[in-house]
Amino acid sequence: MVKYILVAILAVLPLAAQEVKEDMQVPYIPYEIKMGEHFDVIQSQCLICHSFGYMINQGPQSKAFWAGKVKKMKVAFGMDISDQDAVSVTEYLFKHYGNGKLK
Amino acid sequence: MQRRDFFKKSLAVAGAAAVGSSLEAASQPKTGQKVSNVAFPQKRPMITYSDRPPLLESTRDVFSQAITPNDQFFVRWHMPEIPTHIDLKKYRLEVNGEVERELSFTLDQLKTEFEPVEVVSVLQCGGNGRSAYAPIAGGIQWGNGAVGNAKWKGARLKDILDRAGLKHEDFWISFYGLDKAAYYKTPNFIREMHHTELDDHVIVAYEMNGEELPYLNGYPVRLIIPGYYSDSWVKMLSNLTVTKKYQELFFMDVAYRVPDNATESEEPGSHKKIKTKPITTMNVKSMIGYPDNGTKVYLNSHLTVRGVAFDQGKGIKEVSVSIDGGKTWEAAILDDGKHGRYSFREFRYTFNPSKYGEQKIMTRATNLAGEVQPLAEEIGWNHGGYKYNGIDIVTIEVV
Repeated sequence: MVKYILVAILAVLPLAAQEVKEDMQVPYIPYEIKMGEHFDVIQSQCLICHSFGYMINQGPQSKAFWAGKVKKMKVAFGMDISDQDAVSVTEYLFKHYGNGKLK
Repeated sequence: MQRRDFFKKSLAVAGAAAVGSSLEAASQPKTGQKVSNVAFPQKRPMITYSDRPPLLESTRDVFSQAITPNDQFFVRWHMPEIPTHIDLKKYRLEVNGEVERELSFTLDQLKTEFEPVEVVSVLQCGGNGRSAYAPIAGGIQWGNGAVGNAKWKGARLKDILDRAGLKHEDFWISFYGLDKAAYYKTPNFIREMHHTELDDHVIVAYEMNGEELPYLNGYPVRLIIPGYYSDSWVKMLSNLTVTKKYQELFFMDVAYRVPDNATESEEPGSHKKIKTKPITTMNVKSMIGYPDNGTKVYLNSHLTVRGVAFDQGKGIKEVSVSIDGGKTWEAAILDDGKHGRYSFREFRYTFNPSKYGEQKIMTRATNLAGEVQPLAEEIGWNHGGYKYNGIDIVTIEVV
């Protein structure tokens, strides 16, 4: 009898052992972001897929680098953005998170 | 590999001689970043580069012990939509493609129908230490903490594939996770490997340091590929697909690649299209866990430097320490290596700081294949900022 009870308990254990049973909340971090011309495009496009932290923690970069990133988002990741808005995003990033170099 | 490292060094020196020291490609990665005041689920507060997708880095002090605690283990996701709840009644690991039998396993089946195996292995992001590169390489500017070491328990990938039955002797296998892109046109994060890269040490892990995996580290199961950078250690693993041919995938063909040459480096800013190769296996590295930059110690106090060293599994032979700026080196004491060749090895080195003011401490690992951790300035630049493994340097203050 004792043996049967033990078997029964052991059989239930794997399910009971799950530590998280409900949805977890991943916190929102309010990264400080610079305001400026074309910020509206940044807000409507970039935030669809990633945080501001993902952008500003790339370090100060050249205009060619930022243009390349925007192109990657459009061509490789399918961002739905007009050519004009893509230029605006690049300009914003280079102005606020640039290293002053074109290349 | 030894040969390649030799070339790496000689080329870097030649480059420096020809153009002057301004060409130095790397220095120390950034250090001393503050942890966030917000903790992520199942984690202590960590250095937080992004919340969506979560990018969390461990602080230096974590690396004075061989096993990295689950709640301080670094986190790196590519896609923003990560399940924050897994219903084990519904969760399945699917095996399909060029197999005799398509199969589907519950977590419980993975635990009970296959021989459980354990491996202690380092998990390191290919971009760990990227912030050391100059000019700044593209990508998150990680310090040295996108790495950890854990005891993983799971089922051998080989055993799972054998159960399904392989149709071809030569095959590729692709790994899918449950994280999803936010936008339907974005390619999902899928990795693939050739069967020759997979050995008995590759497991589908359901346990990390004796606990279930934290969600942010891939609950309920993730792939463990000891010796390899973590780009193919797919988290929340949901699907193994066997194919006869290599599939062209964005995250294989474009990301996580280095120049395909002897030094795995390139001229910064040349913008030339060059041939690249996947980053694959990890190079030899040591890191100081204690003390930290700016730590104050008394003159002639017995200071014990602690840290960890690892490589791709060839095995650490020695960690040496220099307290005179690299002029002389002395062997540190290594732990007994009980965790195996894929694990962090702990080292310690005690000395009496004998001069007031700044004191530099440098550590250098050598593996059994004779590969030596290079000085940061000997490491050539690559545009993705991958595979940094410079000699670690900490500067303390003697008071």
